[in-house]
Amino acid sequence: MVQSKKQKYLFLAFCLVPTMIMFSIFTLYPLFNGLYYSLFSWSGSSSAAEFTGLSNYVKLFNDSIIPRTIFHDYFLVVTKVFGIMILATFFAVALTQLRIKEAPFYRIVFFFPNIMSVVVIGILWSFIYNPSLGLINSGLELVGLDSWTRPWLGSEDWALPSLVLPSVWAGIGLFMLMLMGGISNVSKSYYEAAEIDGATEWQQFWKVTLPLIWPQIKISILYIVITTLNGSFIIVQVMTGGGPNNSTHVMGSYLYQQAFQQYNFGYGATIGVMILILSLITVLIMQFFMRREKVEY
Amino acid sequence: MKKSLSRIVIRLPLILWAIAVIYPILWMFIGAFKSNAEIYANPWGLPHVFNFQNFSQAWNEYNIDTSVFNSLIVTVVGALLTLIMAIPTAYALERIVFKGNRFLFTLYISAMMIPTVLGWIPLFFLLMQLNLLDNIFGLSIVYAVSQLPFSIFVLTSFMGTIPKALEESAAMDGLSPYGVLWKIITPLSMTGIITVTIMNAIQFWNEYFMALIFLQSEENYTLALAIDYISNEAEYTNAWGTLFASLAIAIIPVIVLYAIFQRRISKGMTEGAIKG
Repeated sequence: MVQSKKQKYLFLAFCLVPTMIMFSIFTLYPLFNGLYYSLFSWSGSSSAAEFTGLSNYVKLFNDSIIPRTIFHDYFLVVTKVFGIMILATFFAVALTQLRIKEAPFYRIVFFFPNIMSVVVIGILWSFIYNPSLGLINSGLELVGLDSWTRPWLGSEDWALPSLVLPSVWAGIGLFMLMLMGGISNVSKSYYEAAEIDGATEWQQFWKVTLPLIWPQIKISILYIVITTLNGSFIIVQVMTGGGPNNSTHVMGSYLYQQAFQQYNFGYGATIGVMILILSLITVLIMQFFMRREKVEY
Repeated sequence: MKKSLSRIVIRLPLILWAIAVIYPILWMFIGAFKSNAEIYANPWGLPHVFNFQNFSQAWNEYNIDTSVFNSLIVTVVGALLTLIMAIPTAYALERIVFKGNRFLFTLYISAMMIPTVLGWIPLFFLLMQLNLLDNIFGLSIVYAVSQLPFSIFVLTSFMGTIPKALEESAAMDGLSPYGVLWKIITPLSMTGIITVTIMNAIQFWNEYFMALIFLQSEENYTLALAIDYISNEAEYTNAWGTLFASLAIAIIPVIVLYAIFQRRISKGMTEGAIKG
């Protein structure tokens, strides 16, 4: 391109600077400022901010609800990873390998919940779990398992596990598509060779499909972990609000409660720092353990 | 014989899951046409007569009309702002060689992985100082910036597929770099722009939590907030029919978009996730 250096930099600035300014103001600055806020005791009015050093962090370590919120978050992470990956892998293999005529129908239907609003999903499932009107309890009564019916979201023991099903329901389609993309890239000749060697379909799955789509599996798991740690509180907020008796509070919903309902903004920021650190550590550890050489046959 | 049996066994979970997805959504629509008495008497069956009373009640008494309007504004303004900010940056990052290019790209992309909750507390006070708190335009700006990383990522990969020769010959003909950007690159990456815009629009239409934090007065509620409000009220008023009607109103635009752009949406989301 024929243009002077000055013109080039002017154009570059035109492209990058306005966006960078907006990004800095509305994303970077708040993140760093959040770290700073965590050192203050602050109820929101501008005069009352008081520098308290690490006392919010001391409070964090002594808050008996914090370990529970961390446990709840990781409970959701683990159950979602297993629930989604097992079902998504099964569906992906079934839809690609078996040449089912109506495969596009399933693909379209299974993906749809991924673009539904969490509010809609949450309210819909709250109704499914509704003790008197809900589908689950009526279904259990219908098949004679009356003793299994319970106030799912109202029970301290069952509320958290009850949140797993809607999350799996809403998430499966995306990961199924990601895995299907991987499987369709696996050359047919591997399967033909495996067939000649007498491998059963089950063996083909374990020895051919799974190793070759490992990159997609790895990305899917990482993605589930990240989105759960960074966003599980949304469905919690809609469906239970952290209750009953804190039994479903995750880190993010507890932050919301502390900061925006009880106006402990400094302490809320401290919880935010904890979320940031925990999710970064988790991702690093996972990337270390899931490093597996790319398989080539 | 053995083959067909295993086929049925494999098909069964597919059919069951399809029912698990379709039935609740269908049931929500059916519920929107039922009276409250019918919902209690027969929560999971068909209504005797279809009536639209729930819709008019949601629309008139629960101010769903205002929130639909607010959601529309937030969606349109947010999606446009995202494009205005993302297209030039994506082009510069994809095509112009300069120091710090890699760093800037990584900075934007890594923002997709960082939990933004921490930033929401300072953002709340920032918006308050800028007089943008409890303001749907303030929310639109926050939305637009929050979708920047994803949009930049998808747009750079689309722009990467445009042959460089086109820009070079246009520049030879005396077109300025600005002209190349708006008259050559933007039209040629229209597929990517449309994909990104649909994804962002759905995201903004559905968004709940930032709206919950950054909007306060009822007349500014977006649809997600209004529905959440009706849902909390319904525990006392038992206005379940109205609740279903408003859920239906929220989900119909998404279904329509999905019906038209199904391939683009699923492809866009899968690609966004693979890099994220």
